[in-house]
Amino acid sequence: MDRIDDIGMRTGETALYDPVRDDAETRLAIPLRAGDGLDKHTRLQLRKEEQRIAKKYMSTPQQMRIYTVITVGCFLAWLSFFPLTMLDILPVWPCFIASCVFAAGGYITSHEAMHDNIGRRGTKYRFWNELVGEISTIILIFPFSMARMMHLHHHYHCNHPENDPDYTDEAPSAFKAWIKTWLNRQPGADGSIHHYKRVLERIGTKGAQKALRDTMMLQLFSMAVFFTMAWSGFAIEAALLWWLPRHIGLSYIRFWLSWAPHHPRDGHGRYENTRVFRTWFGKTWVGHWMSMGMQYHIVHHLYPGIPNHRTKYAYYELKPVLEKRGVDCSAL
Amino acid sequence: MVYNTLSAMQSFLKKLFFVMPFLFGIGFIAPLIAQSMAEFGWEAPWGLSLIAFGLLIGAPWGLYATVRGRWV
Repeated sequence: MDRIDDIGMRTGETALYDPVRDDAETRLAIPLRAGDGLDKHTRLQLRKEEQRIAKKYMSTPQQMRIYTVITVGCFLAWLSFFPLTMLDILPVWPCFIASCVFAAGGYITSHEAMHDNIGRRGTKYRFWNELVGEISTIILIFPFSMARMMHLHHHYHCNHPENDPDYTDEAPSAFKAWIKTWLNRQPGADGSIHHYKRVLERIGTKGAQKALRDTMMLQLFSMAVFFTMAWSGFAIEAALLWWLPRHIGLSYIRFWLSWAPHHPRDGHGRYENTRVFRTWFGKTWVGHWMSMGMQYHIVHHLYPGIPNHRTKYAYYELKPVLEKRGVDCSAL
Repeated sequence: MVYNTLSAMQSFLKKLFFVMPFLFGIGFIAPLIAQSMAEFGWEAPWGLSLIAFGLLIGAPWGLYATVRGRWV
């Protein structure tokens, strides 16, 4: 009985196996209730089932080509907005809206590159993986080296108050979370990229030093572009094509990719550190696109090799297994 | 020698980033205010030029952000 108590059985509950009552019911490894009290055998079986399903949805270089095409296309379009708006060939407002979409969406493609989903190390697709990562987040003034290191750190230490670099995004409500995305970017705040810099300094490895150097260079470069454009008479273009889209994009991704799937950031286990959530648009495709697929973020944390566009389908197939593991899947 | 140079460079960059909000106020916000006012056809008060008015807002605002650590 001691062993059973250790795994959370309450006094008086049916034991996992009772040799006295040797019938079909007691032969079950465990009654599969809300995920508590699973024995090792059941966990193993569930994990095998989970892995079998996840394997079907893992990224392949062929299906990830679209990420490369979209990223390179959007980056070239964004670059072209500068001369085209400065020469009055294109109006700046539609380019501003497109730049905001590129800023927020760029993180998604970069995110795939962070997990090597576009091209694994040692393969011929690796170049494209690194290219996508490097150019996707330039608009956010957020170098890939820093983004990758901080994101992988987030996976290793998810929801840890000290070691999860994204923990500073936590807020008690959605409204306050939006406000906090902006407050965290204030010059004296210890949030967002400021916090990342501090974490990288603490890590102190060669990779961390490179990430800090890349960040400094990208920040100096962007400031030089802003100042030069502004004093050359193109301040509005600089503001609407880069400065404002960056702020809007950063707030958007910090809310949808960090706060929403991890709130209230009190779970630390494999099945507790993310949540399945529903947006204000219910189960419609609007919520799926608006959250950029983050409603199914648990699938990403369990299997980062599943690309963003397949997490939804993987989630619905994994749902019975997740429920048995105690994940609250009632939202979707 | 190399270490001293790197150390001096690091110190310079830290100071540069510390005063970056102030530089941003002068380098970006001031001309942005001036050009936005021009776009909307607004005049600067007290007979100031648009860029002078922009600097009058941008420089103290940047200084405030540098000292206080936040823009508002």
